[in-house]
Amino acid sequence: MPDPTPPLPPAGPDEVALLIDDRPVVVRKGTTVLRAAEAAGLLIPHYCYHPGLSIAGNCRMCLIEIDKVPKLQIGCATAATQGMVVRTATPRVKTAREGIMEFLLINHPLDCPICDQAGECRLQQYEAAYGAGTSRFTDEKVHWPKRYDIGRSVVFDAERCIKCTRCIRFCDEISKSRELALFQRGDHAIIGTFPGKPLDNPYSGNTVDVCPVGALTWKPFRFKARVWFLRDVPSACAGCARGCNVNLGTYRNRVHRMTPRANLEVNRYWMCDAGRQSYAALTEQPRFERPLARPATDASEPIPWDEAVERAAALLREAVAAGADGVAAIVSARLSLEDLHVTQRALQAIGIGRVAVAPHEEGQDDHLLLRRDKTPNARGAALVGLGAPNAGRVKEILEDVSSGRVRGLLVVGEDPIGDGLIPASDLRRLPALVAIDWWKSPTVEAAGVALPACGYGEWEGTLVNFEGRAQRCRAALKPQGETEPVWRILAALARPFGFGAEYASASAVFDEAAAGIPALAGMSYRSLGTGGAKLKGA
Amino acid sequence: MAYDKLLTRNLGKPNSATLDAYQASGGYQGLRRVFKEFTPEKFVEEVKASGLRGRGGAGFPAGVKWGFLPKGLEVPRYLCVNADESEPGTFKDRLLIEQDPHLVLEGIIASAWAIGCHTAFFYIRGEFHKGARIFQKAIEEAYAKGLLGRNILGSGFDLDLIVYRGAGAYICGEETALLESLEGKRGLPRIKPPFPAVVGLYGCPTIINNVETLANVTLIAERGAAWFAAIGRPKNTGPKLFCVSGHVARPGVYEAPLGIPMKELIEMAGGMMRPDRPLKAVVPGGSSMKILPAAKCDVLMDFDSLAAAGTSLGSAGMFVMDSGTCMVDALWNVCRFYAHESCGQCTPCREGTGWFVKILKRLERGDGVPDDVELLDNVASRVEGNTICPFGEAVAWPVQSYVKEFRDEFQEHVTRRGCPLAAAAAR
Ligand SMILES: Cc1cc2nc3c(=O)[nH]c(=O)nc-3n(C[C@H](O)[C@H](O)[C@H](O)COP(=O)(O)O)c2cc1C
Ligand code: SF4
Ligand code: SF4
Ligand code: FES
Repeated sequence: MPDPTPPLPPAGPDEVALLIDDRPVVVRKGTTVLRAAEAAGLLIPHYCYHPGLSIAGNCRMCLIEIDKVPKLQIGCATAATQGMVVRTATPRVKTAREGIMEFLLINHPLDCPICDQAGECRLQQYEAAYGAGTSRFTDEKVHWPKRYDIGRSVVFDAERCIKCTRCIRFCDEISKSRELALFQRGDHAIIGTFPGKPLDNPYSGNTVDVCPVGALTWKPFRFKARVWFLRDVPSACAGCARGCNVNLGTYRNRVHRMTPRANLEVNRYWMCDAGRQSYAALTEQPRFERPLARPATDASEPIPWDEAVERAAALLREAVAAGADGVAAIVSARLSLEDLHVTQRALQAIGIGRVAVAPHEEGQDDHLLLRRDKTPNARGAALVGLGAPNAGRVKEILEDVSSGRVRGLLVVGEDPIGDGLIPASDLRRLPALVAIDWWKSPTVEAAGVALPACGYGEWEGTLVNFEGRAQRCRAALKPQGETEPVWRILAALARPFGFGAEYASASAVFDEAAAGIPALAGMSYRSLGTGGAKLKGA
Repeated sequence: MAYDKLLTRNLGKPNSATLDAYQASGGYQGLRRVFKEFTPEKFVEEVKASGLRGRGGAGFPAGVKWGFLPKGLEVPRYLCVNADESEPGTFKDRLLIEQDPHLVLEGIIASAWAIGCHTAFFYIRGEFHKGARIFQKAIEEAYAKGLLGRNILGSGFDLDLIVYRGAGAYICGEETALLESLEGKRGLPRIKPPFPAVVGLYGCPTIINNVETLANVTLIAERGAAWFAAIGRPKNTGPKLFCVSGHVARPGVYEAPLGIPMKELIEMAGGMMRPDRPLKAVVPGGSSMKILPAAKCDVLMDFDSLAAAGTSLGSAGMFVMDSGTCMVDALWNVCRFYAHESCGQCTPCREGTGWFVKILKRLERGDGVPDDVELLDNVASRVEGNTICPFGEAVAWPVQSYVKEFRDEFQEHVTRRGCPLAAAAAR
């Protein structure tokens, strides 16, 4: 009988060629069988293995058969070698997996109906795919606390835990905060914290993500939505200059959670807790859904868009007419590249030459992701010609507002009153204050005319992170009320001043920006994809 | 055949644990001979030639293991002495540690020299308070007399030896858990490969040997490989300490050459405890090894003979069970131990050990169902071979073998709704 095994492909000097379920694969030396299988398009089921963590080899779900090796081996820790013949679906492997599934479930409470993980739980997925469907276990299960408050934002259900130690390894290796450990032994082994040291680090939410089961849950998301209803919209976090890649878990026009999306060049598999909760501002901050005007009386009143733009333009025209020195703009580096590009062009058209981009800094750059720079698009502001964030320039403008030298101010996405940079009364005195923002900030309330913008998650646009990577944020939500993207508002505001450009979409704005800015040359939404792209020369 | 005791030759002598007494009876002459007549490499060959197999459980040839150390690496090499002795039924290392520590120490020094180790660790079971004290004292004596420290006996060889007390976990006797524990971490076995000889303590090449193995190195140092290899049987050479316990008249540690018939060992231990209760079964190698029913007990007590009989010499902790022993109860007891001692790291062992206990408890209490017997065996088969460390086998083997050899008795616990022996005793 001829040998039915396919021939091995040639391998380079740093490579090995092997067969996995008769599929030939070539991988770098040192690659594990599990990853080699992945490269061959085969899934070796696994719980404890996580690409961002060290190998623990404890769940034993990835057992596979290797020709000429008597015992089953774990794919996650076994290095692929030249000529190796691996089989991932033999009767022996199947029996072993079925055994592991049974073992994992004998002490599991099977409380999927009340578990947040249901729908994205490895136990559910693998039991369906590899389990026997029934259990021979008839005795009393081991019982543990089910709502154990393990830290600031995380709840632990010890009965659901499969002791894969991913969460421990995350805290040891990634956050380096080392709060978690395995305590006790045998089937009484349990994950826990040390006395007086709860799970509380700036990255604790990642333990919930790495937990393959429903043992660790994120307090703000507990019982909020069934995961199968959520639509994951790929985006980038706007919490700081890192721009971690994320998914916005959306249901019924609401973001219910933000989770990290793997990008090895930006955030690997992680994100910080502050970023993870940043979407909450969308519902917690008061919005304004229609333009507001504050004529003679003190209270702002909603007015139609046409009228609001007209009034705002009139205010600015008057101020500009009184002397170019008497008008200024304060612009936010939290806006998208598209917003900033149109803002830059609009300011020129209106005749506002004095512009400052506001910095927002807090804490320090840390060892992992968090940046001191809390603006997600400082590089974008510089790129479009608005300049880098500059506290001195903001301060000068505001001093001139207080002294009366500046009589007209356009504030885009910033809140100098709320940030404590200027007393509300000084801004209220200003003859021409036009504010554009997504929420009803104190500055918005002080403005002569305030124009409502879309919030994060509602707009579509691009952010350039501190390393010079342009990344897309996709719109996950319908804009609230009559809110509009900033670039559209600015284009409308500048139109009476002769600004002629019309854009059909954010993508069109980006294309125009890319055509004029060498660092963006050749880029488009399509080329940015979901992982973003580095600026030319970055 | 007359047999002069070798490993236990000093036991019972006055002050046997002191350096003076040890030297008075010729102690440390072997080390002197080795320093004079060998190079380290040659002594490794000598130990290989002696055929000495590890006494810790697996019976791996000591010299061969030493040969696995990578050559030419500019990192320290460590020797860790495994004095964790926790296998139920095993109490031989303790005897040497408490009563003849210098016999062990001499072997440690010779072995460390042979493998180029300058810092060695003596990892001793937490409960061995007395042993730890005595061994520490022996070390201090050795330092004072130039047998440890700088330039030992003028040889130019330096060695420090540190006693490290465990916290009483059985799993820390498993060599990689021992290393983790020594490093100050929880005693969780490591995935192998890499093997400790390549990546061991603090990431450096490390040899782990059992106390009795190293005591045997002293004998080889004294009298050479050829003499040693003549003791016992081919490939199963040298003297051995057997721990005989259970239903014998005089339980204890008995020294004999490897390959002594099991029945002879039982006789050495005074025969069966109760004349009215004949032999029912023997576990020859500590609780982790497979049980032999009386009919299979005409075996020689050495590595290969017991392997041929389907079990293993293990740690030579031999428990003898008479006809009054309930096998379900005995296995329940064994499984309670393993359920308690499983490190909890890997799925089959963590979950399987507890499950065995639950099933066995039901059987013994009379709540068993007919499928339970098959279930025990099947669950064991899903533990065996699928775990990180050999603890999985250490629990699966007893379960599988007790069920296989005494299936009727297990079944009877189901049909008679409980333990027939307990019921008879109650009458
Ligand atoms: C669960 C488990 C427990 C063990 N306990 C001991 C022990 O207490 N003492 C010991 O010497 N070896 C023990 N071993 C064996 C060691 O892992 C190792 O093989 C031995 O110390 C090597 O020494 P040797 O080659 O001199 O026999 C144990 C192994 C396992 C799997
Ligand atoms: S809590 Fe989750 S991640 Fe942590 S060990 Fe348990 S199952 Fe694994
Ligand atoms: S087999 Fe048992 S003792 Fe060994 S690593 Fe796994 S759980 Fe721990
Ligand atoms: S994924 Fe390999 S043992 Fe868990």
